[in-house]
Amino acid sequence: MSMKISIIKPGLLSTIQDMGRYHYLSQAVPVSGAMDQLAHRLANKAVGNDDHLATIEFTYADASFKAETDVLLAYSGDGAFLVYNDQVMPAEKPLFFPAGVTLKLINNPMGVRTYLSIAGGWEVPDVMESKSTYLTAGFGGFEGRALRKGDVLDNNDSLAKVSKEILNELIYRGLNYPNWRISRESLLPEKRNTIRVVLANEISWFDATSIISFLTHTYTIDIRSNRMGYHLNGKALVRRIKKELLSTAVTPGVIQVTGSGELVILMADCQTTGGYPRIAHVASVDLPLCAQLKPGDEIRFSEISRDEAEELYLERERDLSLITTAISLKYIKI
Amino acid sequence: MLDFDQITDMTEDGAYFASDYPVNIYGLSEQSLTVEFGAVITEELLSLITEFNQLLWRNPFPGLITTIPAYCTLTVYFDPLTVLGSDLAGAYCFDKVSSYLKKLGETRRVHSNTAANQYVIPVCYGGSMGADIFTVSKANKLSEAEVVERHTSAQYTVYMIGFVPGFAYMGGMDASLATPRKAVPDAKIPAGSVGIAGMQTGIYPLETPGGWQIIGRTPLKMFDVNRLQPSLLKGGDIVSFKAIGFEEFNAYTER
Repeated sequence: MSMKISIIKPGLLSTIQDMGRYHYLSQAVPVSGAMDQLAHRLANKAVGNDDHLATIEFTYADASFKAETDVLLAYSGDGAFLVYNDQVMPAEKPLFFPAGVTLKLINNPMGVRTYLSIAGGWEVPDVMESKSTYLTAGFGGFEGRALRKGDVLDNNDSLAKVSKEILNELIYRGLNYPNWRISRESLLPEKRNTIRVVLANEISWFDATSIISFLTHTYTIDIRSNRMGYHLNGKALVRRIKKELLSTAVTPGVIQVTGSGELVILMADCQTTGGYPRIAHVASVDLPLCAQLKPGDEIRFSEISRDEAEELYLERERDLSLITTAISLKYIKI
Repeated sequence: MLDFDQITDMTEDGAYFASDYPVNIYGLSEQSLTVEFGAVITEELLSLITEFNQLLWRNPFPGLITTIPAYCTLTVYFDPLTVLGSDLAGAYCFDKVSSYLKKLGETRRVHSNTAANQYVIPVCYGGSMGADIFTVSKANKLSEAEVVERHTSAQYTVYMIGFVPGFAYMGGMDASLATPRKAVPDAKIPAGSVGIAGMQTGIYPLETPGGWQIIGRTPLKMFDVNRLQPSLLKGGDIVSFKAIGFEEFNAYTER
């Protein structure tokens, strides 16, 4: 079933994103994709989509759009609440809206980014095997740019079987949603400002006191923070070995230390290579927490081993695949 | 025994992971690891990394996603779930992938007999397209014609692509052209601009801010999402520059 929305107010920065562009890294094309991959995937799962389908990434709130047709949507994230008729809509749950309604995003002080999915996924052309927007080079997503007032976005009308069943259950002349929802909270750690990290290859380049500072002090997210990376304010790190790192591959989550000892967490749109020594990388399960950090937020780093980080990754993947199975079993009779 | 698809071309060479440099493998994230082959930029290291990369793609392990060659390293991305489900040796993904790469690295090295791609990049030097040629000539006590002459007579090797999509890190510039970066970077450098920064020369594939001394501009698209290989250049390519006039530049862009 084909579905359509039009943007009334785009908000601060709204782009189409998916799970990233991995096959052109050697040509220096960044990964991009949703900053908060967890929220992106949950928004997709809630409407029966595959995780890799495109969602809209909204930054903070102050956005609104109109359903031009009947739509089956879901949202997840901490940047905004979806509001209809002055009522906050439940997150991580399929939401059916009839054609003609207007929906708004209002501020959620918790975080920064919110993902809006539609049954079938947002339909934009694939560029280098991904629908993610990379603004610096102006490709991917919706015409290579951020969404603007008046843009009309379509879904891909070939829905997955589960999406069709969810739609059949909810289709109605008014707002409708089921009584189940995905519990995002149960997937996230309680302490959202403690970021688990694995120490990096150049760790021995840093002075011992600096490594202790890194693991015990509080760091504050600086205003110079965007989809490429976050600068952190806090105790500057001192190098023991002052040699230069020859440019080598980096990836989202890597924490670089600049010449002045400042920490930078690389995020989704980061360059593919870098020449600053790296002190650690954020465990991939905690990258979604980083995606919701805003200037002024305080964080601490806690060290885990490479093996623990992998176990956490695998545990997260198992939990996510259980969610998919549970939703399918609910709608598809075997 | 591993049965790698080796070309049975007999060589006197040792293994890819040479004994004179202890190859270091380290985790970059839960989905990637980096193999460090050396610590100094050399053409020999470039061909070693290029050849090992080709060997890996002829003999991929289950879950291999992509690889990124750099000056001294090859970074390998993989899908942890597929790697874990494979029968590679080791308990964790990092162990499984690194044990596989080590075995691959211990096989005898085979020189690729495919000749490097050679590109001649047309550049319109000086004038409005390369306003900083004046700075470069003054800093090196050369005439503008000599700058062009020296820039076009060298042969350059592409070491890696990084910084922005399609940006080639090249070696081989005539040392007498070396010029420091600008103290204050330009807010906008047009796509195709050819610049010098210290001992490096490079081409800006996209319009970005930058601090390099711009000496000319190429009409070629260094990065084009509509090509099968969007980046015109890749690691290992050989590049030279050819001076063209303003009319020829315009003829290219109208094509």
